Amino acid sequence: MKTLISIYLKDLLRNNMLGLLVVLVPIIFYPLMYWGITQFIMIKKGVSESRKIVLNYKIESEEFSGIEDSLLSLSNIIPENTDLINPNKSGLFLTVSSQDHLPKYEVFIDSSNAIHKEIFSKLENKLIAYYNSETAKLIEKKNYSTEYFKVYNITARNIDGQNEIVTKVLSLIIPLISVMSILGSCVAASVELASGHTEDKTSETTLTIPLSREKIILSKFITVTIYGIIAGLVNFSFFIVFIMQIFRSFFGKIEEGLLDFDWSMVLNFKTILISIISLSLIAFFVSLIFITAAGFASKRKEGGVLVSPFMAIITYLPFVIIIPAVEPNILIAMTPVLNIAFSLKLIIANDINVLFIFETILFSLLWVLLLYKFLFPFLLEEEVLLGYSNTSLTKKIKMKMDRWKKK
Amino acid sequence: MEEKIIIKNLNKEFYDPQRGTVKAVDNLSFTAYKGEIFGLLGPNGAGKTTTLRMMATLMKPNSGTIEIAGFDIENNSQDVRRSIGYMSSNTALYPRLSPREIITYFAELNDYSKENLTMRVEQIIKYFNIGDYADTYSEKLSTGMKQITSIARTIVHNPPVLILDEPSAGLDVIVAQKIHSYILDLKNEGKTIIFSSHNMGEVEKICDRIGIINNGKLLTVGTIDELRDISGKYYMEEIFVYFVKEFEKES
Ligand SMILES: Nc1ncnc2c1ncn2[C@@H]1O[C@H](COP(=O)(O)OP(=O)(O)O)[C@@H](O)[C@H]1O
Ligand SMILES: [Mg+2]
Repeated sequence: MKTLISIYLKDLLRNNMLGLLVVLVPIIFYPLMYWGITQFIMIKKGVSESRKIVLNYKIESEEFSGIEDSLLSLSNIIPENTDLINPNKSGLFLTVSSQDHLPKYEVFIDSSNAIHKEIFSKLENKLIAYYNSETAKLIEKKNYSTEYFKVYNITARNIDGQNEIVTKVLSLIIPLISVMSILGSCVAASVELASGHTEDKTSETTLTIPLSREKIILSKFITVTIYGIIAGLVNFSFFIVFIMQIFRSFFGKIEEGLLDFDWSMVLNFKTILISIISLSLIAFFVSLIFITAAGFASKRKEGGVLVSPFMAIITYLPFVIIIPAVEPNILIAMTPVLNIAFSLKLIIANDINVLFIFETILFSLLWVLLLYKFLFPFLLEEEVLLGYSNTSLTKKIKMKMDRWKKK
Repeated sequence: MEEKIIIKNLNKEFYDPQRGTVKAVDNLSFTAYKGEIFGLLGPNGAGKTTTLRMMATLMKPNSGTIEIAGFDIENNSQDVRRSIGYMSSNTALYPRLSPREIITYFAELNDYSKENLTMRVEQIIKYFNIGDYADTYSEKLSTGMKQITSIARTIVHNPPVLILDEPSAGLDVIVAQKIHSYILDLKNEGKTIIFSSHNMGEVEKICDRIGIINNGKLLTVGTIDELRDISGKYYMEEIFVYFVKEFEKES
């Protein structure tokens, strides 16, 4: 089997056209997806424009109680005076304290939330204006020189902390992109190994070696899995460029934080290992479907046609993980490909849900078993193994139907 | 003489939506011995490929038995596969592997012993004169070079039985002659070769015994001299037509 896999893999990896396709398609796809995510976030932002956000504030120094009027004049926010600042995602939190007779501000925001960011910029203007007016008073009272008071003191903090935000974003993007990257290459490799081998007439070549049919086909699955992982890794490195772009646009200052970011939180041995295992499982799973579908075709073109409906369904599944409101549930655990992508998201975000991961493993194995049981016999049929001689696709399907009717 | 291939009452049907059930091989029986070239001669669609495919364990017969090198295709298919080298117009080379890689891999795939592997591969490359293009991707080779590489990969594991389905079809005379001489060499090494063709002259030239097949039925089997005696004709083409007509008369 090892020899057979090396033959298949070598032939695939040396296929420059295929390699180009596998690398090029995502390069076109990423900017499109980038645009898609932009639109998605814009829509989210547009919807939220009308929503009001609570601004919890605490004025620690009586001399600055005048700031309340300033806060009340802000649109879209509900100011609420609290004694206890306990930052959470329900709103913004502001503490006003005193330093050298001037106001010192501390603000907690959720910078992954577009509304928070927008309100923060308005709030920041108000706070600066108040600071300037206090400075003016102080200068007048004490006859200080103006130049000492140019620096105001606002500290903006993230509720989550930057590391958590970066982790959260990466936990969405990494599974999605890696699944996307391997899906494309798995489809291409499956069509090549199934229909391509029939078209090139290489399929019969290996069928007379002393190796069972099951193992020959299993070798094809494993080849597709390995190819998918290799192509996925190459692809993924291209994607890193686009990840940077997304950060630059939407998280502004966090871009600097990206350099300080503790990458070991996301890219450690454990997550990489789990990612590769999960992706291999996905690759194996989809190769079962794609090779079976493409196996019925005797030409690459036909193989592409047969594979496309499955491709369409499977490609859209992992997008569910970027919808923020979706929580892990049994339905997701039952959906192939999505369940693994979702588990990967949870693991990278360090938000481990043991039950969900257990369900995922269980259902994934169940799916593989089901496909193996029901699709494998098709692959072992003489017509699929040898390819029908000069028979058109529609005729083949008709033949299949006729045979079923007979049975 | 040692019997290497024993085929008894072989039948194979296909279902075709237009033609209905097609009897591709119809109650076919013959025996081939060690060190002989057995030619299966018949026009296109006669059932040659189907017969050879069943011998090579690619297809299962609907009924009948095949024994190759003492192994039954049904019960000992792995042993049968180890004992044969199979080549047809449907077995192509992997386009992006070189002849050297293909020959090495196929020796490995057919369980050739690891110690002698490199030596055997070099020996084969030398014997078939592949040296000049041994490291070129096979997609870049000419049809003749590909065919010679195909034969090389078919025999690299030194199987006692060779099943060659129209090995010289579509080749120019020079390459075809080369292939004929290789086949004769292999016969002299003691291999049993079963060989199909629709080329009358070729069969006449290199086969020890000839089976004439038409519409899935084996009409007759014999040496070229025996067939000439029975039919009273000299040329293979005439002999072929004689047996087809005789058969039609009978039925
Ligand atoms: N896979 C198949 N499906 C349906 N019919 C087939 C198939 N293979 C061969 N046949 C039919 O069986 C008959 C014998 O074909 P074949 O063995 O290829 O003949 P030959 O090799 O002598 O030209 C032909 O009528 C052919 O159309
Ligand atoms: Mg044929």
